[in-house]
Formats: sequence, structure tokens, C-alpha cells
Amino acid sequence: MLNFIGQILPYLAGGIFIAGMGWRLWTWLRTPVPFKMTLSPAPVGTAQRFIKIGQELLIFKTLRQSDRRLWLWAWMMHLCLAAIIGGHITGIYFLGQQFTALGLSINESVKLSTILGSLSGILIFASLVALLYRRTSNAEVKRLSDPADYFDILLLLAVVISGLHMRLTSLEVDLPAIRTYLGSLMTFKPVSTPQNWIFISHYFLVNILLAYLPFSKMLHMTGFFVNKAMMTATPPVYPSSLNASNISAFRKGGVSE
Amino acid sequence: MKPPMHVAKETDLAAIGFAVSPLQEQQQKTVGKLNELVNAMRSLSVIMETCTKCGICANQCHSYLGTDDFNNIPAARADLVRRIYKRYLTLRGKYLGSYVGAEEFDDQTLTKWLTYFYQCNECRRCARFCPFGIDTAEVTIAARHILSELGIMPKFMQGITANMIKSGNNMGIPKPAIIDCAEFMEEEIKEETGLDIKIPIDKPNSDVLYIPSSADFFTNIDTMIGAAKLFYKLGLNWTISSSILEAANFGLLFNLKVMSEHNDRMKEAALSLGAKLVIQGECGHGWRAAKMYSEGVNGPIPFEIIHILDFCALNLDNLQLRKLPLRVTLHDPCNYARAGEICEQPRQILRACVDEFVEMTPNRDENFCCGGGSGILMDEMMEIRMKLGKMKADQVKALGKIDYLAMPCSICKAQIPNVLSHYGIDIANMGGVMDLVGKAIVLNE
Repeated sequence: MLNFIGQILPYLAGGIFIAGMGWRLWTWLRTPVPFKMTLSPAPVGTAQRFIKIGQELLIFKTLRQSDRRLWLWAWMMHLCLAAIIGGHITGIYFLGQQFTALGLSINESVKLSTILGSLSGILIFASLVALLYRRTSNAEVKRLSDPADYFDILLLLAVVISGLHMRLTSLEVDLPAIRTYLGSLMTFKPVSTPQNWIFISHYFLVNILLAYLPFSKMLHMTGFFVNKAMMTATPPVYPSSLNASNISAFRKGGVSE
Repeated sequence: MKPPMHVAKETDLAAIGFAVSPLQEQQQKTVGKLNELVNAMRSLSVIMETCTKCGICANQCHSYLGTDDFNNIPAARADLVRRIYKRYLTLRGKYLGSYVGAEEFDDQTLTKWLTYFYQCNECRRCARFCPFGIDTAEVTIAARHILSELGIMPKFMQGITANMIKSGNNMGIPKPAIIDCAEFMEEEIKEETGLDIKIPIDKPNSDVLYIPSSADFFTNIDTMIGAAKLFYKLGLNWTISSSILEAANFGLLFNLKVMSEHNDRMKEAALSLGAKLVIQGECGHGWRAAKMYSEGVNGPIPFEIIHILDFCALNLDNLQLRKLPLRVTLHDPCNYARAGEICEQPRQILRACVDEFVEMTPNRDENFCCGGGSGILMDEMMEIRMKLGKMKADQVKALGKIDYLAMPCSICKAQIPNVLSHYGIDIANMGGVMDLVGKAIVLNE
């Protein structure tokens, strides 16, 4: 079992994640855009377009405009998620010493890394609980929700709780050993899986999340970009030399896709 | 469950080249057509997968706010299609069923579609406020298209399409009546200004083809008169065409093939008259269909297409306008402000034409729909239409005394007066923006 979780599942989950996301993106991008979907007012020029999408991506601008409370929790959740992903990559790779680059001592850097990680973990936990509460307490959202919508939050919560468990209890995790192990996975030179059950439980849940993600609504992160790209496209200018699409849904006698 | 509108009968459908699918084929055909559209429209395929059910759209949709019906929440409305999509077109829906929100196709499915997709005004306000920009109007367009392909459509849509085929306009005005009406308007102008201003019909070798809404030859003649005066002042060689005396394109509102045929008609008329410029009259969705859809479905387009308000705003410096002593507000037609890049132009024109211009709140791309959008003008749906117009009524009420409500779209012009009288709001005059241009323009120096 440990062997499966440590040596086989990561490749399986990683493979499903990459293939699943790739397949999703490919099915969208191969689908034609027969009509411009621009939502007026259209941004003028590439710079404005990037700013418009960037504001949505970084500060959730329209959400902030329409519902401050949801915005706070949703934004904090995503911000912490980004911090946690970044923190995992740098923290594990540099063993917490990444902030020495900013002039801190090794001790200080490890301490700061721990504080930031714990803080992000606690805040994302709080935001997920708040979002779960909103889903059950807002009558409209509750009725809109399918079981899978709850499962997604609960899965994230499970990942976060198991992660916080490592952080906040006295159970020390051997970070160098984990680094060696993860490195070995990536270079396909297997070493034995660290025998720490707290780590294993967290790690297992992350793998499940990765494999599940392309088939869940957490896919909205890719949908966001594909949709926003369409919504900010430059509107048609006439005269236009573009040839008509010949899709049967839009023209009598058109070609069936 | 009974749909809230009169549904077209088999003989009606035959008149416009549609047929009813037998009951036992409905499920298979629905799924087949849905699959076809998901593979033909990237927007739809993304929308089917991207909603997180955050519920933000609920409080941004005038349809839900006015009717308080759960299925009018944009996310819930889109789910009517999404549930079928998941069940029949995704593996997880097939095997996990209601856990992921999949639902079996049953004898109520299409009735629900007919009922609720005809309570969506395709106004795109949900797209404006959705964190991912999910545009429920795309799902509505797709669902109505599928319904019509199965021979299910409101009698209203069928009737308008039959008129379009027969006469080249939605009102069913035959050419002799068009000529009569143009002469009547010419006389009106002559009486008012003393000038011989022509409204040319099918005049060959015209530089400009003007495509008004047919209602401008019927109930909203001041809009047409305003346009005629503008063209006269600018010295244009222009004409209207009896083969397409209709800016509205109801195909966009129930069947995409009919939509492309309408745009073909525009293209043929412009080419046969030799027009280098097509000016579209005051019609919201018709402008969206012409501007946003022609390129992709009817291209190549060898002439320019511009909206009358854009054209007028560009030429403001060449016009002499006297300010009318009126307090005026503007209702932004959804398809201008959210789908057609017409937003500041009517404001520029109104500021030049009247003493006092006031904004309603919210406005521009955040404006609420009048509740008639996407062709929901059926008499039998009046009760629902009034609920759909509730947010608009509240907006207008908040402004206090208004002398003129400018609503440069024929559907808005048909809906808003009903809404305001229903909610007891008294406004002296309402109409297009070109109506005011016609009254403010100085023709004899």
C-alpha cells in the first residue's frame, strides 16, 4: 500500500492531471468561435486587454463589485492557494532557506517560511469553511449546488487540514527526506517513501485532488482564460474579407461538424 | 406544466420551412443537436464546464429579481441544458448521475426549456457580473435553436419569420404600403420644414443602404423621420430596400440558420444596390446580429456596416442642432451596451440635442434590460413581461420627473411604455434617439 501511494499513485495522478487538463484545453481550443463573443465595452489594444483580464485574475474585480463578502473569502482562498503552491515549491526545494536571498539568516528564513506557511494554511482553512457555510446558508446557492460542489470543498479542506496537521502539531516532518524523495520521483530514480503517516495522508489527498481536478468544476481556472479571451476579443471591422464558416448549425446546407 | 406562450402549430411551421419531430425522437435529436452546438461554439463548450455555482448571477438578473422563480437564476437556467449535457455527453455524468448534477431527459425537459429560455432576455448582464464571464445568453441562443430545430417555437417567432419571408420585414408591410408610408412621412417633413426631403425606396446606385426597423414605418415614424433629416443634411445618396426593411433579426432569437439567412438578405440588398455603406437603424439585437455575426457566418462582407447612432455621433460637428428644452434620460439597449459597442454615442447625441441629460442608475454596460429583449413581446406573456420589466421601472421611477425617455431600440420601444404604465410611472414622451435628432436638427440656414 505504501509502495502504491508513494511510487505508483504520484505518476498516475500526475499523468491524469496533465493529460486531463491538456485534453480539456484541447477540446475547447479546437472548437471554432464562429461569432465574436466580445462583451462591450471591448478593451482597445493588447495592453488594455491584458489589464482587463489581469484585474479579474488578480483582484477578482467584478466579484468585488457585486458581493464584497463572497469576494473577501473567495479572494483570500485563491490568494492563499497560490501562496501555498509557491511556498511548497520553494520551501521544499530550498528547505525553508529561500528568504536568505532577501538577506535573512538561515534561521530567520526558516522561521519566516514556517510563519507564512502556517498563516496561509490557517487563512485558507477559514476561507474554505466560510465558503462551505455560504453554500449551505444562502438559499439560492444551496439549491444550485450539486453533491459534487460540496465534495470539492471538503476535499480541499481535507488536504488543508492534513497539511496543517504537519505544520501545527509537534510531529516533526523530515523535510530533507521529503525533498530527496520528491526529487527522486521527478528524476525517475526511485528511493523509498518517507514513512511518516501524517505526511503520507496529506500526500495521498493531494494526489487524489490532482487526478480529480480536470473532471471537476475546479477546472474553472482554465475556463476562465478561454472564456475571458473570447469576451475581450476585438469586435469585427467591416469591410471584412473573412470567409463564412460553413457549420451546419448556422447555415442551411452547411457542413456537419 | 404549460409553457407561457402560444406555440406554433405544424401548419405554421411548414410555412417557414420547419417540421415537428416525433415525440419518440425528441431525446435523441436534442442530444444530437446539443452535441453539434457544443462542438461548433467554443463559448457553449466552455460554459458547460466552467460554472462554480457561486450564485452571483442571481442578484444581477432582472428576470430572477422580477419573477422570483428559481429557474430564472442564470446559473439555474443554464443548468437546464447543462444537466442534459452532463448526462448524455460526459462520462462522469453518465456514471455518477445526479452526484455531478446530471439529469435524465424526460417529458418535461423541453417544456422547461421552452418556458425558461423564453424568460431570458439574452441581455448578457450575467456575463458582465460572472467572475468567469459566463454568458447565459449563449445557452439561451443554443437552447432556443435546438427547440426550433425540433419544431418547437413560440407562435410569435414563427409569425415574424413568416412575415419576413413574405414581405422582407417583421411587420408584414407589403411594398405598396411601404411606398405609401414613405410618402406620408415625406409630407409630414414638408409640412414641418417646407423642404422636399425624400425617403427613397429601392433606388439603384445608392452609396448608402439604410436598414430601419420596420416598426419605424408603423409606430415609430419619428425615428425614421429623424434619420431621413440627418441623411438629407449630410447630403447622402441613400436608399432603403423593400427586400430588407428590417434591422431586427429574429433568427438570432430562435434559430441561427434563420439568423444567417437574414444577414444574407442584407448582404444581397447592399450588393445589388451598389452600397458601400450599410447603416443599421435603431434595433438592439439586430445590431448585434449584423455587427458580431455577419463576419463569421455571412462573410466576406465587402461593405462597411455602421450603426445610425455611431454614424450620427461621428457627424455631430457637421450638424447644426438646437437644444430642446427637455429633461431626458437614456435606457441603454442591452445589445448596444454589452454586445455592440454603442454606449457613449447616444450620450454625445443627447447632450447635443437637449438641455438636461440625466443618467439612470445603473447605466451603460451595467444597465438593466427592459424585459422585452430577445423578442419576448408576446401579448399572452404580458404578466411575465411586466415582472421582467420591474427593475427597469424601479430605475426610471428613481429619476423623478422626466420629459423624454430615450430608448433607441424597437423592442424597448414596444416594451417600456407597457412597463411604465403597469407600475404607474407617468412620462410625457418616449421614443428613439433619432426622434430627438430629427426635432433638434436645423435644416434651413
